[in-house]
Amino acid sequence: MNLLRGFATTLKYLFEDKVTVQYPEEERPVRERFKGRHALKRYDNGLEKCIGCALCAAACPADAIWVEAAENTDEERYSPGERYAKTYEINMMRCIFCGYCEDACPTEAIVLEHEYRLTFSDRRDSIYTKEMLIDPPPPGVPGTPQQTEPGRYTRSIPEMKDPL
Amino acid sequence: MLAEKYADRIEKIFSKYPDKRSAIMDLLYLAQEEYGWLSGDALEEVAALVDVDPTQAHSIAGFYTMYSEKPKGKYWFQVCTDLPCALRGADDFYQALCEYLGVEDGGTTEDGLFTVEQVMCLAACDRAPMMQCNFHYHENLDLDKVKALVEQLRQEAAAAQGE
Amino acid sequence: MTETVTFYIDGQAYQVAKGTNLVDAAKMHDIDIPVFCYHPKLKPVGMCRMCLVELGSLSVNRETGEVERDEHGEPVFRWFPRLQTACTQVVTDGLAVRTTTEAVVQGRNSILEFLLTSHPLDCPVCDKGGECPLQNLTMGYGPGESRFLIDDKIRLDKHVPLGELIYLDRERCIQCARCTRFCDEIVGDDVLAFHERGRRLQIVTISDPPFDTKFSGNTTDICPVGALTTADFRFGARPWELQEEATICPHCPVGCNLSAGTRLDRDAGGKKIIKRIMPRQNEWVNEIWICDKGRFGHHHTRAEGRLEQPMLKQNGAWVPIDWPAAYDLVAAKLRQYGDSLGVLAGPSLSNEDLWELRKLAGLVASEPKLGVWPAAMTGGDLVAQVGVGSGTMLRAVGPETAILVIASDFEEEAPIWWLQVKQAADRGAAVVVANARPTKLDRYARAVVRYRYGEAVSVLNGFAAQALKDKSLTGKLSESRVAGLSQLRAALKGVKPAFGDAGRMLLSAENLIIFAGGEGLSVAQHRELMQAAANLLILTGRAGRANSGLVAVWPGANMQGAYDLGYSAEATQALLDTPPRMWIIGAANPVAEDARAARAITGAEFVVATSLFMTPTSEAADLVLPRQSFAEREGTFTNGMRRVQRFYTVQGIIGDSLPDWKIFAAIGERLNGPKARISAGAVMKDITAHVPAYAQASYPRLAQVERQFPLVGGDDLYYGGTAYFNLSGLGLAIPPVAEDGSAQLEVRPVTVDAPASTDADLSLIPVRVLYDRDVLFEPSRLMHHRVPPPSVELNQADAERLGIADGDRVAVEGDGYQITATARVDGRAPAGYALLPVRLSSTPAPTTPAACTVRKIGE
Repeated sequence: MNLLRGFATTLKYLFEDKVTVQYPEEERPVRERFKGRHALKRYDNGLEKCIGCALCAAACPADAIWVEAAENTDEERYSPGERYAKTYEINMMRCIFCGYCEDACPTEAIVLEHEYRLTFSDRRDSIYTKEMLIDPPPPGVPGTPQQTEPGRYTRSIPEMKDPL
Repeated sequence: MLAEKYADRIEKIFSKYPDKRSAIMDLLYLAQEEYGWLSGDALEEVAALVDVDPTQAHSIAGFYTMYSEKPKGKYWFQVCTDLPCALRGADDFYQALCEYLGVEDGGTTEDGLFTVEQVMCLAACDRAPMMQCNFHYHENLDLDKVKALVEQLRQEAAAAQGE
Repeated sequence: MTETVTFYIDGQAYQVAKGTNLVDAAKMHDIDIPVFCYHPKLKPVGMCRMCLVELGSLSVNRETGEVERDEHGEPVFRWFPRLQTACTQVVTDGLAVRTTTEAVVQGRNSILEFLLTSHPLDCPVCDKGGECPLQNLTMGYGPGESRFLIDDKIRLDKHVPLGELIYLDRERCIQCARCTRFCDEIVGDDVLAFHERGRRLQIVTISDPPFDTKFSGNTTDICPVGALTTADFRFGARPWELQEEATICPHCPVGCNLSAGTRLDRDAGGKKIIKRIMPRQNEWVNEIWICDKGRFGHHHTRAEGRLEQPMLKQNGAWVPIDWPAAYDLVAAKLRQYGDSLGVLAGPSLSNEDLWELRKLAGLVASEPKLGVWPAAMTGGDLVAQVGVGSGTMLRAVGPETAILVIASDFEEEAPIWWLQVKQAADRGAAVVVANARPTKLDRYARAVVRYRYGEAVSVLNGFAAQALKDKSLTGKLSESRVAGLSQLRAALKGVKPAFGDAGRMLLSAENLIIFAGGEGLSVAQHRELMQAAANLLILTGRAGRANSGLVAVWPGANMQGAYDLGYSAEATQALLDTPPRMWIIGAANPVAEDARAARAITGAEFVVATSLFMTPTSEAADLVLPRQSFAEREGTFTNGMRRVQRFYTVQGIIGDSLPDWKIFAAIGERLNGPKARISAGAVMKDITAHVPAYAQASYPRLAQVERQFPLVGGDDLYYGGTAYFNLSGLGLAIPPVAEDGSAQLEVRPVTVDAPASTDADLSLIPVRVLYDRDVLFEPSRLMHHRVPPPSVELNQADAERLGIADGDRVAVEGDGYQITATARVDGRAPAGYALLPVRLSSTPAPTTPAACTVRKIGE
């Protein structure tokens, strides 16, 4: 009797929708709140949101983030504030994708996005540098560093509402 | 230079105080009297006289409103607009004065004769609106009175020029 | 014995010395009264209102005079109706304080809310964030949120340079005036002040150069917010990311205790490097202050051009070789030239280096000639005899102590001692300055003695003669333990007591500290000066006591150590007189600094130099060995007051460089010397076994600490500033021989040579300036604005005679040297003398007085 019940279950699922996804040919979309690889964001004018404050590194429970900061000048500007991240590295092997960095960030510069295909064949390759993490500038907008007019960016931290 | 021109006065000022640096305020007045305002050079000159860093002279000149670190007209109208005076119409009076002279708040007339500015309490609330002109009080003012004063001062200045 | 009083905090009785400030008194018992404007080293002003507490006093029955008690027998207090500032309150008997009541909590809360109305809250990028008193106190006592609208916040300048070293952020300033008060009260440079008032109040400086003081960095430590930050550290790291390592400043004989904030750095190839230098508290030495040279002069540890490999000169070209080959080569050359070996030890070699170098030289020569460089001062052996006694603490000396500073431009040569002597003068110590020219300390001196260059000795002799006249002064002398007394008495008989007032001031105080520099003196003359100072101290019974004794203002960090280990300037002079065939030069640059030394060194057959960089001396050498800077290894320095202090490994090693002691020991092994020790600590153990004075100076002993007051570091950032706790050792002050009551002392009559008159028109006097082009300092680019161009100071009369005006380009020439410099005619040089700041020009000049001619040259 139990045997028949088992076969019935098998039979029932034969007619249901398939749940198996043929990865990597096919990909299953992730949830909106999925925490994948980090991305460093830019403002619409191409300047980086990251101000190099290293609060993400401080919040990181796995000690996976390394930040070195430097000062912006109007000739060579990376972020609207006084300070930017000269070096920004995440060791993906260490990262536990907890998202604390995102919570700690005062300028919403770091976001855990949906990319989850992180493979490497060398331990060194697990370190993602700033160049790898940062989003490209919006179309038609120059990247960083930019030359900006003096007196335009005078705050230490850009205000979130309208940083431009 | 002050040191040469007013040697006697400076000597007298120094004699009033136990040490040199205490004389700085008197000497700043002297410099202001001489140059009309306290320029960077004037501050340095005074600082050198009392043997302190020019920063200290700058600080004192910045703290007290009776020193000016900006060029001023020959006649310096300081109108009190603190609360008691304001209650007796000092604000309106001040605005009328500015309009009459054709200057902004804190500005100087084109002929370089008059500078107007608002100041904190000058301790003559009972006779407001009032103002101080080159450190002399003019009290119970209204626009007519001040017009007469301005006219009188203009004549004085013209007379002085003519000499 | 100071009187103690009982006072009450939150109902609990405590005892402190009478007259203690209430905030300090509470802190001594680990009770927090939060402050912003109050600082334990500054006078209270009560500006910030953060320290508001409820004050009261014991309720005393007027009829009986007895303290009233409640039914439980507890004393009853009467409270003042309003909150009062604790920092302006001195503890008196029966004072009562409440620090935790509703009113106090409310008061602190409101003050913080008020301070934050115009504070920018840019903590994420602020260099102070993480070690910020305002941040910490807001977390501890502040309101969770503000009632003020952020849109109404006033906007002020964020980036105002106060000079090129310090930046002001006007928005962050909470107007506590700690910085301006530090400059006024502690330093006496009134170059920082408030301008305007109310919300427009701001800190300004219009001195030339801006913020013209040698101690500006300390304002950033005591700033309770991030308003003042240094240009050096700016955005270098977050404070919590730094690893703090204890070290000792390698620049001058004060031996300030430092804390190096280090972090791994991508640009340095992942090495640990120094991100900033902060003071480390040592109340015996530098308290919680350091000068800007110490704070910003650390870049030599990792500057471009650091030598990374041993380099051998072959046919005029430099070829890198490996260490064993280098050791073999030096060993072979030492076998060859051992009987004619000259050793020069630089001022920043550690005691361990000096010891191994001495052992190495001892392997090939029975009496090795161990010279120091710069060879401008001598008498370290006399300091060992009559140096300052145990328990000497400059910051505590007052009216019972007299201080004589002779032949030294004190602020330029030992800034922190200058700072402490200046404050001692403020506290009532009789400070006498004796120099041939005006110096900045004159301002604070009770008396100033002027002499002609070369006659400094006669000043001391005059004091000694005066002391002999007065039995009460020499009464403390126990004659049996002093040799040579009768000869000295006889010699002083002919000397007229001179400088009466100054002498009386110096001799009437209970203690006497003599700081002796070497300005305007040859080595032989300096020996006489030191002897005369020792004579005076012994004669008046002031040798071997706390806060009393002789201190040499050496031109380097560890020259006292060099003397203690058998090196001397006389040996250097002897070596220069008859140059040896082989030189070992440890961490010194004589070729660039002295023309005579340059000739003696370039003429030798084989020169081996340990060096950080390719200096003119290394260029002149045949073999250059890359040494490690103080930051890359352990060691000890002995400061001018003979305090042996440990420094620790701070930074990653550059290239294949090695500590000097290791190099010398490895060479020694190849000459059948003892096996090289494995650590600096083991070398020190060797020293403690062989050098009696250093017998106690083992590494564990040097690392001992004690609780110091005021408390700094830790959770008390708001109180003492961000100087660091001393967890790594206060060092060990070596007592002078004179302190041992049974030890024999010796006095010796000194001769006064009248300055030799020459046919040359001027005498050249080398003088020291703090900001120079020394190898250890030049790589700190930030400081270049403050380094003067090569200059020579002339007297007005001389300048007129020679047709030279202030600012002219001149050539200064003499026997074997010629330099070009800018003439300065500013009234500091006495007639007949040209003052030449050393280590400013790249061409060698004399390091001791010499004849010279000065002439104007075209553009």
